[in-house]
Amino acid sequence: MDADITVPGTSQGERAQLGRLSRPTESALVGWILVVLLTLAGFVLLALGTPAGSPVWPQYAFLAVGLAGIAGYGIAVFPFFRDLERRLPRDLERWEILEKELIEASQQLGAGDLVRSIQHTRGLPERLARISEAASESLSLLAQQIQDSSIEVASAADAVNEIASELASGSSEQAASVVEITAAMEELARTAGQIADSASRQATLASQAETSGETGSAAVHEAVSGVEEVQKRISAIASRADALGTRSKEIYRVLDLITEIAQETHILSLNAAIEAAAAGADGRRFAVVAEEVRHLAQRSQESVESVRNLLDEFAGSIRATIVATEEGSKEASRVLERSRAAAEAIGELRSASGDTSRVARQISLATQQQNAASDEVVMTLREVSLVVQRMTGGLKDLSSTADRLNSLGLTIQLLAQSFHLDSPRSLKHLAEDWSAKLEAAPDMTTLEEILDGLAQTAQFIEMAYIADAKGHLSTLCFNRTVSTGRHLLTMAAARDVDMTRRPWYRAVKREGRSALVPPYESLQNSEPCFTVAAPLRSLGGDFQGVLGIDVNVTGWTRI
Amino acid sequence: MAESFRRAPGVRDHRGAGTHLLVRAGEYVCALPLGSVRRVVRSLTVHPLPGAADELQGLAEFGGEPLPVLSLARLVNASPGANPSYPVTVVVWVGAADAREMVGLSADAALEVVELSTASIVAGDGGLLLGEAPLNGEVVRVLDLESLGRDH
Repeated sequence: MDADITVPGTSQGERAQLGRLSRPTESALVGWILVVLLTLAGFVLLALGTPAGSPVWPQYAFLAVGLAGIAGYGIAVFPFFRDLERRLPRDLERWEILEKELIEASQQLGAGDLVRSIQHTRGLPERLARISEAASESLSLLAQQIQDSSIEVASAADAVNEIASELASGSSEQAASVVEITAAMEELARTAGQIADSASRQATLASQAETSGETGSAAVHEAVSGVEEVQKRISAIASRADALGTRSKEIYRVLDLITEIAQETHILSLNAAIEAAAAGADGRRFAVVAEEVRHLAQRSQESVESVRNLLDEFAGSIRATIVATEEGSKEASRVLERSRAAAEAIGELRSASGDTSRVARQISLATQQQNAASDEVVMTLREVSLVVQRMTGGLKDLSSTADRLNSLGLTIQLLAQSFHLDSPRSLKHLAEDWSAKLEAAPDMTTLEEILDGLAQTAQFIEMAYIADAKGHLSTLCFNRTVSTGRHLLTMAAARDVDMTRRPWYRAVKREGRSALVPPYESLQNSEPCFTVAAPLRSLGGDFQGVLGIDVNVTGWTRI
Repeated sequence: MAESFRRAPGVRDHRGAGTHLLVRAGEYVCALPLGSVRRVVRSLTVHPLPGAADELQGLAEFGGEPLPVLSLARLVNASPGANPSYPVTVVVWVGAADAREMVGLSADAALEVVELSTASIVAGDGGLLLGEAPLNGEVVRVLDLESLGRDH
């Protein structure tokens, strides 16, 4: 940057020309002589070209006017050239100073140091200085706007990237959800199909049950009729048994009558025996008859007792029959009641089976419709899934684009940061400002305190350090607000590192001004960062070292 | 009545031999001498007499005449039996032959007419109970109706 800058009007040929211009009077005399000679040559040529016999006064008039003009030119111009010859060395010296300032300003401008460029333009002529300063300020303003815009672009791209990433993540989840919903809908459709089949089978079974119910109802009705007939028969048996009971009572009365007759006969036979005994020998034969009558009465009584016993058994059987028929009648009534209840239940069951069959058919139809609707939903969900997948891809592309935009904004930012502006957002300005503060430190302790204070001033600073003139790291301070405390780079480890090979060190030492290197991966947190560096000089202007500041890219773009 | 069984038991009494009417009174079977029996009738309707002895049930009408009716069960100290199926009133002559009276004996049943031998009769107390005789595996109490007339 400091060798080959060419300023218009400062080449070697132009310098020789300027040397020749340092003798203006001589040059003016030579020109005057040439004009006289040309005038005389014109007079001669005019005289030679005039035909014989023509008037000669125009020739002499030409000569006179020419000589008069030459004389007037000499009288009027010569003093000016004399004065010019007298002022020209002083103006040349001033011009050289201006040329030097202009070259410095141009060099600073070429190096992007608009601050020093403006400082150098102050020595130029007012108009040129104003124009140069306006141009530098415009360029500075443009660079600041580019810096601000690039930060905004990077921030916006970062935000877009974050949003796009979230949207892509959400879209991926949505796609996964759509896939799950699709699977669930397919399962639902499959289940609906199974339900439709089951409902169809249920309808068939219900129809069969209805038919069976009708058969069962007819059978139960027949059973009811049979039980009613049995009940009638049992009632008839009960009536017959009751009639037998009545007859038995009549028989009992007859037996009682017979018994009474037998008793009377018995008494009568006894009385006959008494009378026979009273009759003495005449009554002996009568006594025999009386005894036979008594025996007859006794046998009658015994027969009556036998009949009574049989009749008791018969009556007992009849009573048991009556009880049995009553119980049978009651049981038949209960059976009849249960049969009627069963018939009613079967009727209800048949009705319910009919309803079930109809409902099952409706369910089958509805589930078939549901199945068709589910298929449509599944197809729609598949389309939605494709759309979501495309959207996810688009969002990923958007995220990638935003990432590239972020990188581009960061690149622009770094390009803009290559300008040294009089702005707090100019890192070079910041670094040189801090470098000036460090240069003013009276001792090493104060310098370390100042450096540590500087390292804590902003969130985007990861660490600040100083490499001395030999390239050895002399001071290293971490930003404690962003540092995790686990430093991969320690002072002990960095002390022996040769910093002269580092780009930022070499650039600062070579250019003699602040420099900025492209982003790289930080040793502290593996995040992208870049280094801005500024030279440290002694009071005499000798190179003492380099101030390096590692700037976190993410933190910087968030300011 | 205790006096009617004054005779010592185990002494033979030949007066009880002959034809007897067996009647049941409670748990006992009593033999009434057939010569003293006038008639056997279905149990007569008895009209109680106030202040009469326990064995005298009352008066009944027989043949148009009042007939005193005695409870045979009471006379032989039988426990009152269950309701008899066919009770009877046995009209008998009591007392001596020259002063006999006709009374009715209410019994649970009139059984039969039997012959009792003298040898089989074991003498009773000399009162109403003339003696006891076995018959068909059962002890029959032979009553002396004449003594009944004397005691009353």
